[in-house]
Amino acid sequence: MNHLGEQISALIDGELAGADLDRANAHLAGCGRCRAEAAELRQLKRDLRALFDFGGDDGLTGRLLAMTGPDLPEAPVPSRRLPGEQYGRELPEDDGRDKRPPRGRGRGPARAARPARPAKRSRGRYVLWSAISLFVIGVGTAAFTMGGTGGSASPGPKITPQLEMFSVEHAMISGDVPVPEPTEPTGGVTSP
Amino acid sequence: MMPALPLVRRPRLGLLIAAAVTITVPSLLAILALVGHEQPAPVVRASGTSLGGGSPPSGLGMRLLGKSAAAGTAASYQGVELIAQRSVSGPQTIVSEVWHRGGLTVTQTSDAGMLASSQPYVSYDVSDRSPEGVFGLTKTLVALLGKHYVAVYQGTGLAAGRPALIVELNRPDGSLAARFWLDKQTMVPLRRDVYDTSARLVSEEAFVQVQFGVLAPAPTVAATVTAPAGSQWAAAPAPAVLVTELNRVGWQLPAALPGGLPLYTAARSQTGAGQVVDLCYSDGLSVVSLFVQRGTLAPKPAGWQQVSAGGHQVYVAGQSVIWSGGGFVYTMLADASPQVVTQVVAALPQDTAPGVIERIRRGLERLGAIVDPFR
Repeated sequence: MNHLGEQISALIDGELAGADLDRANAHLAGCGRCRAEAAELRQLKRDLRALFDFGGDDGLTGRLLAMTGPDLPEAPVPSRRLPGEQYGRELPEDDGRDKRPPRGRGRGPARAARPARPAKRSRGRYVLWSAISLFVIGVGTAAFTMGGTGGSASPGPKITPQLEMFSVEHAMISGDVPVPEPTEPTGGVTSP
Repeated sequence: MMPALPLVRRPRLGLLIAAAVTITVPSLLAILALVGHEQPAPVVRASGTSLGGGSPPSGLGMRLLGKSAAAGTAASYQGVELIAQRSVSGPQTIVSEVWHRGGLTVTQTSDAGMLASSQPYVSYDVSDRSPEGVFGLTKTLVALLGKHYVAVYQGTGLAAGRPALIVELNRPDGSLAARFWLDKQTMVPLRRDVYDTSARLVSEEAFVQVQFGVLAPAPTVAATVTAPAGSQWAAAPAPAVLVTELNRVGWQLPAALPGGLPLYTAARSQTGAGQVVDLCYSDGLSVVSLFVQRGTLAPKPAGWQQVSAGGHQVYVAGQSVIWSGGGFVYTMLADASPQVVTQVVAALPQDTAPGVIERIRRGLERLGAIVDPFR
């Protein structure tokens, strides 16, 4: 029995057509060895594709940014997917054609476009938090400055002691002469 | 031999009796003299806080001081006083021209260091009270002296070129507290020296020129000056009760001051900034007037010097000290040693530097008070 040989690779790559394709499929239906070999080649091809797909995903940056937002559960978690599982259900098991969705369409592009909205929301939050921080710092600075003078919480009147008046009163009681003002000489005239 | 013995013993017995009389009689006289002397009695009086108030001071020294206090009110005199004293801000010298007759006293006081550059400033007090004495000798203060000091007459001397009687005031421990020179003719005080507990001279007040009897007319400045606003004081009949009542509504007024200065008089007055309370504390020699009013101290007033006293920052000018604490402004005028002034400042409320949290909390309350239209 002649096996498919190098035609298996062409079959997996979708390079056979017409009578060649019909013959190859008919052989696969009756030859378990070639079927097993074809299955191995498909698996190898999926693994290689998955490797290239992971590194070339344009939505990766967006997903990473989206992870900082509150909708974190919506972000894909690559570590939970095994290589090859990402598009496995979309690949035919037996027709050998690559049915991977083209880039820019389907779930891939949709997933890549989604993080744009959380990024805007995050910037809004940054602005909000910055404004709140500035307000708190401003009020705190003002309160710190205003709270530094005087002993009571209430502002109270600003007092400049009337030393002249006090000095005369003190002289009345102490039997001494009134003392002068700090800035200029003072006199006192008293009468009964 | 036996009859001769009495002949020998009789002269010895007489000699013994004569010796005993010679020793005993002067000793008794000395003891009686000491008991009758004035000094031991005041020691007993001054040592006790148990002395009842109102008992007139006995002893020659106290009697002389009492007469001097009365003479300072009754006599007519004019002269120039020189007052040199140590304060918390350093030494201060004041020159004062004094004219006194018939209950009217005119003083024109200048700081000796400013005479060359400043014009004299004269004020007129319209209250019905006037200084009762000279150099701190008033009837009230002499009564307090009798409770805290021992007065001893020390003889005669000279002051302002006039014969004077010298009276010393001693503390209960015997240390010298003050020395007075009283005019021998009129009994008006001519000079007073005050010493602190370390025997250092803290103040010296003296007439450098004085004239008694017929005086020149009162200085013409008396007719031109005007009364300072708000100089009407209402004396409190019971100072201790006033202090208690005000403390009940948030004031922080002491019932006594450190240095053994009890409260002895109080008065109130209304000013544009609110009520002012004047509390006077004295032991008869040191006199501290404490003026308290609500509010906070205005920014540093011109002419005042900021110093640290009693562990706190205060402003001083001569014997005057101002600071704020607990929502009140305190102005202290003290005829007392710097040591006593420092103790008093330390014992009264002060504004201390608050912590960060306390400072922010206080500032938020003040901000709230500003923006709250209902406050």
